[in-house]
Amino acid sequence: MSELEQKIRSEAERLLKEGLVDVVIAFRKEDAPLRPQPAFFTHPEDLENLTYNGLCANNLANYLTRYPRETRIGMLVRGCENRSVNALIVEKQHSRENLYLIGIPCTGIIDWRKVIALTGEDILGYEDTDSTLIVRARHQTFRLPRQELLHPSCQRCVHPNPLSADILLGEALPEGDPTLIRARVESFEALSREERTAFFRQEAERCIRCYACREACPMCYCEECFVDHNTPRWTESGTTPAGTHAWHIIRAFHQTGRCTSCGACERACPMDIQMTYLTDKLGKDMWDYYQFAAGMDDKTQPPFAAFTMDDKKHFQAGGKLS
Amino acid sequence: MTDHKPKIAFFQCHWCLYAPEDQEWVDRRLPDNIRLIKVPCTGRIDPLFVLNAVQGGAEGVVISGCLPEKCHYKEGNLAARRQLQEFSSFMDYIGYDEARLRFVWLDLQDRGRIQRELADFENQLQQLGSAEALAARQPLEEGGAHE
Repeated sequence: MSELEQKIRSEAERLLKEGLVDVVIAFRKEDAPLRPQPAFFTHPEDLENLTYNGLCANNLANYLTRYPRETRIGMLVRGCENRSVNALIVEKQHSRENLYLIGIPCTGIIDWRKVIALTGEDILGYEDTDSTLIVRARHQTFRLPRQELLHPSCQRCVHPNPLSADILLGEALPEGDPTLIRARVESFEALSREERTAFFRQEAERCIRCYACREACPMCYCEECFVDHNTPRWTESGTTPAGTHAWHIIRAFHQTGRCTSCGACERACPMDIQMTYLTDKLGKDMWDYYQFAAGMDDKTQPPFAAFTMDDKKHFQAGGKLS
Repeated sequence: MTDHKPKIAFFQCHWCLYAPEDQEWVDRRLPDNIRLIKVPCTGRIDPLFVLNAVQGGAEGVVISGCLPEKCHYKEGNLAARRQLQEFSSFMDYIGYDEARLRFVWLDLQDRGRIQRELADFENQLQQLGSAEALAARQPLEEGGAHE
């Protein structure tokens, strides 16, 4: 058991024992190798199952909206989760007073698919250390460099530290390079129109419409999603090209000014479809036009909700943004 | 150019045409290739409506609305402008030509401008040729738009 895991456990134990929170949302030891699962601890004695390592892939802020606002929640937050929590508080999905955020500077989430591609599926155990992931497979022990196994969204991460946690466990990490995420969008923008369409179609049309991306996303909390609505039905609900295009375009667009680039959608996708290139573009535009980044505090409204009469000076006949 | 008449979806804010002749022309004498969708305010236009028009076979989409301060519902057009303009650049990002979406923000003195804008847009679409970037969908059932 790592030192960090021990710290999280004792903090969660304190919260539950002192009755400060009703539930602690964290991770527990996995049933399937390399896949620690989100867990909801209500009794201190359950905490022996609590675990934390680089393979904890879910964005736990996702579970915030499943509780009434009065529930006092203790939650494990990494940089992206903290930003998602902030964005949810802005949208009045929970009140900050009823949250206790246990912050962890995040060294990046390891993509389990990349691990399995290198080691095969016969995994007996693993250990996540600072620079290497040690995987014990049936016939061999692998020592894999951690940085190469990170999920692409984590390789581009700008804010690995929680911004507004109540307690920070572990040393704060240096901020990431903000040009990486922009460079990706810009390199896609630099492609020709045909290439962009071809890439979008190639990705979107593999979609099986399982909506795992929606379920994994903390910001997708609508009671009824536009694709589930059937009178009138807004889009095709099958896996036809038109249906999958509409899903990918509108799902991403609904995240404008709300997406915190955690990459949970891509990690959840069973078809390995890339989709952060869509939400990252919208995030970049929100920064360029409105100097807004989602989740940096829990007060500022996102641009689509914060329109003012000041827009008037940019508002010309047929004029483009700003 | 060819005499191909591009299909245009025309979203019109109910309040944006100040001259009765313009409104009368839009309501009764709109050319056959232009489909009118009247909305109470541009703020009612969900980007999904625009996408549906595009996937339903519209080669271009025109959105007409009021200038700021002139909105009948005070700020519907401000909300719409932020969303729809970002949507148009997002569509461009995935390969749909931004030039196929046009915004016409009308003012009190713009009598007759909507006819000119539609004619000009039609001309522009003829130059661009047919749109095949995004797949066409089947006509929707259960209250959705039919062909």
